[in-house]
Amino acid sequence: MNPLRRARTRFQQWWQARLRPNDCQTLTQRNVYIVPTAPGLLLAATLLVLLVASINFQLNLGYALTFLLGGCSLVGMHLGHATLRGLDLQLLAPQPQFLDASASLNVQLRNPGQASRYGVGLAVFGSNDWLWSEVPAQGSYTLQLPWQAPRRGIVALPLLTVESRFPMGAFRVWTVWQPASSVLVYPRPEAGAPTLPAAGSAARAGVAARAPNRSDVEWDGLRPYRRGDALKHIAWKPSAKAMASGAGALVSRDTQAPQTTQTADLWLDYGATGLSDKEARLSRLCAWAKSADQQELRYGLRLPGVQIAPASGAAHLHHCLEALALC
Amino acid sequence: MLSTTRPSHPARALARLHALPQQTRETLFVLLVVAWVLLPHLAQLPVWASALVGLMLLWRAQLALAGAALPARWTLAALLGLAVAGTLFTHHSLVGMEAGITLVALLLALKTLEMRARRDAFVVFFLGFFAVLTQFLSSQSLGTAAYMLVAMLGLLTALVNAHLPGSATPLRVAARTAARMAALGLPLMVLLFVLFPRVAPLWGVGEAAPRARSGLSATMSVGSMAELALDDSVALRLRFETPPAPGSALYFRGPVLSRFDGRQWLPLDEVPARTSHAPEVLQTQGAPLRYEITLEPTTQPWLLVLDATPEAPQAPGLRARATPDLQWLADPGTPGTSGTPGGAGLQRYQAQSFLQFQYGPRQWHPDLPAYTALPPGGNPRTLAWAAQLRATPALASADARTLSAAVLQRLGSGDYGYTLSPGIYGEHTADEFWFGRKVGFCEHIASAYVVVMRALGVPARLVTGYQGAQRNAIDGYWTVRQSDAHAWAEIWQEGQGWMRVDPTAAVSPWRPGADTRLAVPGGPMAQLLGRVGLGRVGPGAWSTARAAWEAVNNQWNQSVLNFGQGAQVALLKRMGIEAPSREDLVSVLAYALAAVLAVGGALGALWAAWPARRANPSQVVLRQLHRRLRAIGLPLPAHLSPRQIAQRLEQHFGAAATPVCHWLLQFEHWRYGPRSDAAALRLLQTQWKTLVWPQRHAPGKARP
Repeated sequence: MNPLRRARTRFQQWWQARLRPNDCQTLTQRNVYIVPTAPGLLLAATLLVLLVASINFQLNLGYALTFLLGGCSLVGMHLGHATLRGLDLQLLAPQPQFLDASASLNVQLRNPGQASRYGVGLAVFGSNDWLWSEVPAQGSYTLQLPWQAPRRGIVALPLLTVESRFPMGAFRVWTVWQPASSVLVYPRPEAGAPTLPAAGSAARAGVAARAPNRSDVEWDGLRPYRRGDALKHIAWKPSAKAMASGAGALVSRDTQAPQTTQTADLWLDYGATGLSDKEARLSRLCAWAKSADQQELRYGLRLPGVQIAPASGAAHLHHCLEALALC
Repeated sequence: MLSTTRPSHPARALARLHALPQQTRETLFVLLVVAWVLLPHLAQLPVWASALVGLMLLWRAQLALAGAALPARWTLAALLGLAVAGTLFTHHSLVGMEAGITLVALLLALKTLEMRARRDAFVVFFLGFFAVLTQFLSSQSLGTAAYMLVAMLGLLTALVNAHLPGSATPLRVAARTAARMAALGLPLMVLLFVLFPRVAPLWGVGEAAPRARSGLSATMSVGSMAELALDDSVALRLRFETPPAPGSALYFRGPVLSRFDGRQWLPLDEVPARTSHAPEVLQTQGAPLRYEITLEPTTQPWLLVLDATPEAPQAPGLRARATPDLQWLADPGTPGTSGTPGGAGLQRYQAQSFLQFQYGPRQWHPDLPAYTALPPGGNPRTLAWAAQLRATPALASADARTLSAAVLQRLGSGDYGYTLSPGIYGEHTADEFWFGRKVGFCEHIASAYVVVMRALGVPARLVTGYQGAQRNAIDGYWTVRQSDAHAWAEIWQEGQGWMRVDPTAAVSPWRPGADTRLAVPGGPMAQLLGRVGLGRVGPGAWSTARAAWEAVNNQWNQSVLNFGQGAQVALLKRMGIEAPSREDLVSVLAYALAAVLAVGGALGALWAAWPARRANPSQVVLRQLHRRLRAIGLPLPAHLSPRQIAQRLEQHFGAAATPVCHWLLQFEHWRYGPRSDAAALRLLQTQWKTLVWPQRHAPGKARP
């Protein structure tokens, strides 16, 4: 590692350590930064060339044009700073997620001001995947920032950055924000895991036959599309009709969790996965737990030092997965 | 089939536009802005460049409408090569001003073909600004300024729109933001415009402004003034400081042409070297006319003044010299206040002229034979007629004045006429005028007159310039148009010097300075208005409107375009600085900027602090409530509703809290009930002040 990069890393660590983690951050003069961008420097060069041309050709209207553009740039700088200043960032409590699954952090941008804020971008610090939004006056906007946890267990949330180049792109206005929350990350469910181990219960075959398929989930009805609805939840036919009639909006199906109907006993054992690697075992157990929950079986979990009595339901699943995550 | 054609309503077109995808609409908007910026350039670009620009823009629009892919990189490279090669071929350079303008226009159009991401709006934007500035090289009129203001707002809107990422924000948001930025940036612009020190060009501009209009040319060949006569644009404006002279007496002196090659009149280039032998004495009589002239942009160094001006025209920084022909020229490189001669700027100067004067050698002088030279073999019939005149006993020994009168008599005999379209003259222009067509305009008439006077042995020469002026009743300025360009003659009379003779007056007595002007077809605007029927409003209304427009234009010229060092110095003097220097200007600018920034910063800070204060009334009440709750020892979380607070109070204090609970329920009703009017709130606030609060539980710490 060359010294320059090391120095930069040190510097980053230094200022990151200075950040006070907070789930609700209000942007003020103290934590909003602003520097000119490359196009901003290009704009400055343009202004200079326009000024020189005005002087050399003695164009009074050239002066007027140059100064008006300069004035606009200055105003743009303030507008850009005002885009972030006063904004409230609120992290919505992050939901537990599976490792490597596509997950998102929900961040609500709240605008207490009297003017809409345009072109506010949110990204994980260091990444370049920006989510853009506009926050209406005295309103809020929730962004779902895709983020994958690097490991299982309790994972601190990444450093986030909020940026705006509005209105002219000549200045980059940004802030960095360390959310205080952490998120529980379950192990990655093994893809194509073998079927559940024998439960020793006679009821199993019958259960399997009656296990409701995901696609049989009852639909409650239709409602307008909301940002973040999965593609498969969109009711395409009604959407097409709505668009043809000019209403123009997508329609989603309203889902309701399927009713729990059946119970069965099953032990998911850390020692009985048929694998030797710890992560692979956890991964398989995770897949099994999910599968068992889907089939609405009664299942228990045995981990080194932890045993969870058989039960079923969402809370139980979460309990088991949490144990797997923290194992 | 006609009955089935659908009427094309603008509303339908608008609906179709709205049906387009957002990105297509944005692209079309950028193209529209680019087209708007480039439109005024098209007239001045080479034809091929205009065609290429138009084609590229149309192609890009078609691609956007069809949703097709943008051209490949090699296509763009080929187009770029074509543009560069064409520019090189036309202008023989890539760096000159004309070549630069052509290139900027072509690159701007080309860049739209490469507009993949919205960030490409940057390049379009910056090139667009150059294009706007280059337009100012050819015109800085009020109309151009307004047009280019629209262009600038369009460019800004496009730029702002490019920074509204990832959202289907309507274009009007961008337009509003751009307008807001421009409006807020305006004070700064005015400040800088007024106080920024005007300095001389940093380096030589090289070639002169390409398209500044030249009203007069340094030479005159028959036919060259026909266009000028049609040009209704303003050549100069005049403001008299003394009582004005009649229009017929106003002769603005331009170049004097003394050498004739049969077709072309040229200045005598040997004259300056020989002036030392012929002291051109200028004697003036009567009271001077004092006036101020604002000269429109010109490529020539001529400072047009009235005949005759003994002293150099005055303007800050202007250095002028006189030619032996009594013409005034600006020294090259004179740092003008706004616009040097040869630049595209206006020029304003003061001068003092005498309408009565004597000028030139009084006695025969060796220079004079140069003014009787005629090309050999030219105009034989005119020469024969001159010989015949000389042979007349009455004129055998007549002086110049008498001979001139005889010639003018023939001109005024009624056989000769004034026309703007005399047709193309042949080789012997004077013969053709005197004996052939017998019609022409001032240059034909004056040229024919000078030829015959020379044939008679009288020293004679042509003077070009402007003649006459029209007073604008609205602002009192006198306007001299390009159509007032004129050519007259001077003959040498012994004992008198050079005498002005205007032979055109002999042909059509109304032409020089008469009130009824020549019915010029007018500029393009006038023609257009005439075509759409505005011409029918009558000449009176039309000329009033024109006078008003020109008064506005003149005001623009005087206060904006002519704003320069002189005006800045005057401003500083008015501010109480005795002898302003450039340093004063810079320090005033610095103070003013500091003041603007300080005031702006203070306002900004206030604005930033304001939201806390302008919380809505119920928030204010709730804040008071929680302060009170803390005071009575029952701090409650901020999220509780008034009803929940009332419940907690009741639990904690029992009956003692009843009045407060009652008030809280009323408050809740006001806040969340169907009607939340201000009167009810005021009542609640009044009740709040007299509310009886329960006492703190801890003994001994009770509050009053």
